[in-house]
This record gives sequence, structure tokens and C-alpha cells, in this order.
Amino acid sequence: MIHTENLTKIYRMGDAEVYALRDVNLEIKEGEFIAIIGSSGSGKSTLLNMIGCLDTPTSGSVFIDNVNTASLNENELAEIRREKMGFIFQQFNLVHTLNAVENVALPMFFAGVKRETRLKRAEELLVNVGLGDRIYHKPSELSGGQQQRVAIARALSNDPEIVIGDEPTGNVDTDTGNAIMDILEGLNKEGRTIIVVTHDAEIAAHAGRTKRMRDGRVLD
Amino acid sequence: MRDSFSLTYRNIKERKARAALTILGITVGIAAVIALMSIGYGMQESITAELVEMADVIVVMPMRMELGSIGTFGSFTDRDLDAVKRIGGVKHAVAMIGEMEEVEYRGEKFMVQIVGIEPRDMDAVFGETVKLEEDGGAGTEASGRALRDNDHKACEIGYSIAHDYFSNEVGVNDRLTINGTKFRVVGIIGKQGGFRSEVDSQIYITTRDSVSVLDNEDISTIFVRVRNIENAEEIAAEIEERIDDNHKLDDFTSAMTMGSAIEQMESIFGILQAVLIAISSISLIVAAMGIMNTILMSVMERTHEIGVMKAIGAKNRNILSLFLLEAGVISVIGGVCGCIAGVIGAHAITFGIQAAFDVEIAAIVKPEVLLGGIAVALVVGMLSGLYPARKASKMSPVEAVRYE
Ligand SMILES: Nc1ncnc2c1ncn2[C@@H]1O[C@H](COP(=O)(O)OP(=O)(O)O)[C@@H](O)[C@H]1O
Ligand SMILES: [Mg+2]
Repeated sequence: MIHTENLTKIYRMGDAEVYALRDVNLEIKEGEFIAIIGSSGSGKSTLLNMIGCLDTPTSGSVFIDNVNTASLNENELAEIRREKMGFIFQQFNLVHTLNAVENVALPMFFAGVKRETRLKRAEELLVNVGLGDRIYHKPSELSGGQQQRVAIARALSNDPEIVIGDEPTGNVDTDTGNAIMDILEGLNKEGRTIIVVTHDAEIAAHAGRTKRMRDGRVLD
Repeated sequence: MRDSFSLTYRNIKERKARAALTILGITVGIAAVIALMSIGYGMQESITAELVEMADVIVVMPMRMELGSIGTFGSFTDRDLDAVKRIGGVKHAVAMIGEMEEVEYRGEKFMVQIVGIEPRDMDAVFGETVKLEEDGGAGTEASGRALRDNDHKACEIGYSIAHDYFSNEVGVNDRLTINGTKFRVVGIIGKQGGFRSEVDSQIYITTRDSVSVLDNEDISTIFVRVRNIENAEEIAAEIEERIDDNHKLDDFTSAMTMGSAIEQMESIFGILQAVLIAISSISLIVAAMGIMNTILMSVMERTHEIGVMKAIGAKNRNILSLFLLEAGVISVIGGVCGCIAGVIGAHAITFGIQAAFDVEIAAIVKPEVLLGGIAVALVVGMLSGLYPARKASKMSPVEAVRYE
């Protein structure tokens, strides 16, 4: 469902060139749960941003459902992010002026879903992640683990095929981290493709397949 | 839409003080424009209302000095008056003899414009508006009666002559010495002010007295009312031609229709108002920069949030409309506040003008001006929000998310 061909990203810092990604060829199958591990600075986030259509490569390509993302314009990329992808960040990244249910409903708002429909669905999603009693709480009134569960519910809001997490457990304690990974496992069992980046081997153990990165390369 | 508004509302609420200052900026700009326009309309109205009711009037005056009599203005004769009366479409033609004379009352002397007129013609000249004082004022007698044809050494006096000129009030039956001859005051004319304020400082006597007592028979003005206002311009031209013929001079006579005076007045007001509005628009430009700055800051502060929104599927136009909405809401609030402040300001200023200059004027607030004010606020707000909003919408999602 997703594959990359010689994916390369170079950051230029003055005269120096930083290869964040070097000729990455990776294939991710539909319904897979893959963990990408590697030390800090090895290029994990950069790879995830390419797959998630947030960034464009210096060379090489990303194919999603056999469509080369380089051939898509900004609007089409936004539509892919909105309809096919669900993003979970290390910092949760909830909109702090909105409460839990409004945060979860936000992607549906951008998709033009009717207000009643999206608030109802957002509420259901929050119940599913165990936050049925916190739906009107602001992010600042929630713990890190709770915020991350809101973020997961938000990622699911447009019922995406792919869920992407960039160190989703990086800012929570081990138990909470495991609980979050359990939720992701559950999503994988529903048939969703899950791609998670972590530097924690224990967390990676939840995944069906693990890939290691070093210096911008994916190791075999 | 409702959620965009609630998001906007919360974003504005989060930075209340800044939003309030921006709103104040646009409020001042809109209020200035609205107040000036309303005062302008009020002035125009109060002046043209007086003029319109005289729209059938043609005022005929000598335009330049007659040859050979250097130092004195030319004047008309009875022959000129008859010629004017014979022109078709002329309803009334009234001759007025006007001259500055020394007027003495209880030892005080002033130079005053004395107008000699046939008493029966006074209605034709003044219409319904110039009346005797309603009441002589507290402690004084009633204001007397109008001048009559058979009055001898009698006069009707303007409001200021009665009340302001002399340290002692002049009342009915008091005697004024005009150029050495005593005249009895038979009536006091009510206060005119505004466009007819010259009536307030004039003294009216009969034509007969003017000729026999003051020895002045030079007609200084012929006052004409026409039957049909539409013919006023043609009649005015004919009057000039006839009188010029009588005197064998070119351009001796000036016959001005009130219609043209109204037009002149209106165009002067139009220009004046345009200039004032242009000046007050400068405050709108300042307000526009304030909005741009506020939205730019808002965009900067929310860069990270913009990135997150894009990551979860917001299109560029979703982001664009979010910030445009913020600019729009701020400016419409400012526009509404500006309308309210402008209306209050307009009334306060006209009230002040009334009190200070003693003129009848009321601000006229037109609904279309208020709607226009809000529309201008909205357009100014949207235009100044456009640049920051576009900037926000074009941000790269990764870089925006990275931004802390
Ligand atoms: N915007 C950027 N500008 C310059 N260098 C960058 C940028 N983003 C990432 N890098 C560099 O690319 C490399 C990979 O970064 P990243 O993908 O964030 O690694 P990881 O997520 O594995 O820690 C690092 O050396 C990092 O410094
Ligand atoms: Mg990273």
C-alpha cells in the first residue's frame, strides 16, 4: 500500500549537507503494524513526514496506493492526509483553545462533515479510547496520557486506513505508553495499517515488524 | 461555519487586550467618517431647506459700478422695476432701497442697513418664514405689528437691532433716530439666524419714507418671485438683458436664481465633505495597519497550530478562511462600535455647534451611511487580513509543526 523508491532528503545547512534520508526503499503492506526504531537523528521523523505527505523529498518518491505523491498538488496532498492518514505526535499537539470533543471533530470539520454528525462521532471515538467522561475538558485539564488518547481519537476521526505515530509514547510513562500501544494494536486488528516511530525496543515489540534506521538509511 | 466562529471567538478572547486595541483603532476610523458624514448631511439639509423654500426667487442686483459715478455702486430705477414686472412668468417684483445710515438710540450710535420697501411687498419677499417675534421676551411688551403702507416715520426692526445692538433693549413704540429723523418702532421681527441672518440686523421702513425723509430713491435690489421654477433661468437672463438695455450697458445686472445658489452650495458642500472624509480615511489606513499587525501576530503565535491543522488535513483555504474570519470579526465589531460612536459623536458635535454659534443644525444619520460604515470596516479588515492569512495558508506543514 505504501512504498518508497530511493527516497532521499538532504538538508543544507550553509555549506554542509545533511542527509536526513539516503536512498530509502521501504515497502509497507496493507494492514501491517510496523515499528521504525533508531537513535535520535537517524531520520525517523523525516521518513514519517514523507510517508505522511507533510514534506517533499529531495529525490526519489513515495507511492501511496500506487500513486506517486510527487505528482499531487498541495490540495490533493491535504486530502490524502485528511482521508487516508491519521497523525499522532509525540507532543500530542492538540489545539489548546478547543476542548476534547472539538479537537477530535476538527479533521471532520475540514472534511465538511455536518456539525451534529461530527460531534456525535467525536464523542463515540472518545468513549472508545476511554475518555467518555472527559469530552468537554480542555487539553490543559488533561494528563499527558489522556491528551495522547484524545490525539488518537482525533487521528481516527475521518476513519483513515493508515495511522502514523511519531514517538507517540515519547512523552508519557511506560504504563501509559503500553496502554497507548494496546490501543494501536486494537486499531491494527480492525484492519488499519499502523506505522510507529520509537527509540524504545519494548514499545516496538508491540509491532508485527520492526525496521531499524541509522544515518538516514533503513537497515535490513 | 459555527465552529469557525467559535474558534475565531476563542482566538480573539485569548488575546483580549490586543483585539480590543485593534477594534478601537477601526472604531475611531469608522466613527470619524460616520460623524463627519452625518454632520455634513445635517448642515447641507439645514441650509438647503431654507434655500429650497426660496427656490422661486431671483435676486437682481447691480453687478458693477455705473460709468461716471466712480465710488458708488450702480442702482436701479422704477423703469427697471416696471420692465421686470412686464416679463412673462414673473409673479412678484419688489424693489428694495438699501443704504447704511447712522441710527441712534438713547445716545448710542451705529451704522445700520436701512431697507426701504413697500410694506405690502414684504410678504412676497419673506414668504411665510419671516414673522414678527412670537413674544416680546420676558418682561417686554408684545412684538407689535407689521409695517403698513400708510405708516409714516415708522419702522419694523430685526431681532438683533432690538436685542443686541444697543445696551438698552429696543421695544415696540420706542423711537430710533435714523439719520437725524425719529422713527417709531412698530414691530420686531423674529430671530432668523442661519442663512437669513442679515434680516436680524436690518431696519425696514416704507419706500415713501425712504424717498421723502432719507432722500434716497436708488433701488439697490429687485427681488423677483417666478410662477414656475423651471423657467427661472430664462427669466433671469431676460431680466439682465432688459435692465442692461435700459442702462445701455453690458453686464450691468446680475440676476441670480436661488436654484443656482442651491446648486453652488451643494457642490461646495460636496467638496468640503469629500475632503473631510478623505482626511478621516487616514485613520482608517492606520486601523487597517493595526488589523494587519494583529492578524500577523496571531499567525505567528499560531504557526505551530497551523502546522498541526495542516497535518490533520486542513487545506490552504481552510487556514486562509480561519484568519480572514478573525480579521472580519474584529473589523465588523469595530465597524459596529464605530457606527455607535460616530452617531453619538455627530450629535454631540452638532449640539456643540448649536450652542456655540447659535444656528439650527441637527446631524442626519442615514441608514445607508451606517451600513456603508460597517461594509467599509469589513472590506478594510478583510483586505488587511488577506496578506497574513495567505502567509499562514502557504506555510509548509512540517516547518510549522516544528515551530515552537
Ligand atoms: N528542518 C531541518 N533542517 C535541518 N536539518 C534537519 C531538519 N530536520 C531534520 N534535520 C536533520 O536531519 C536528520 C534527521 O532528523 P530526524 O528525522 O528528525 O531524526 P529523528 O526523528 O530520527 O530523531 C538530523 O540530523 C536532523 O538534524
Ligand atoms: Mg524525531
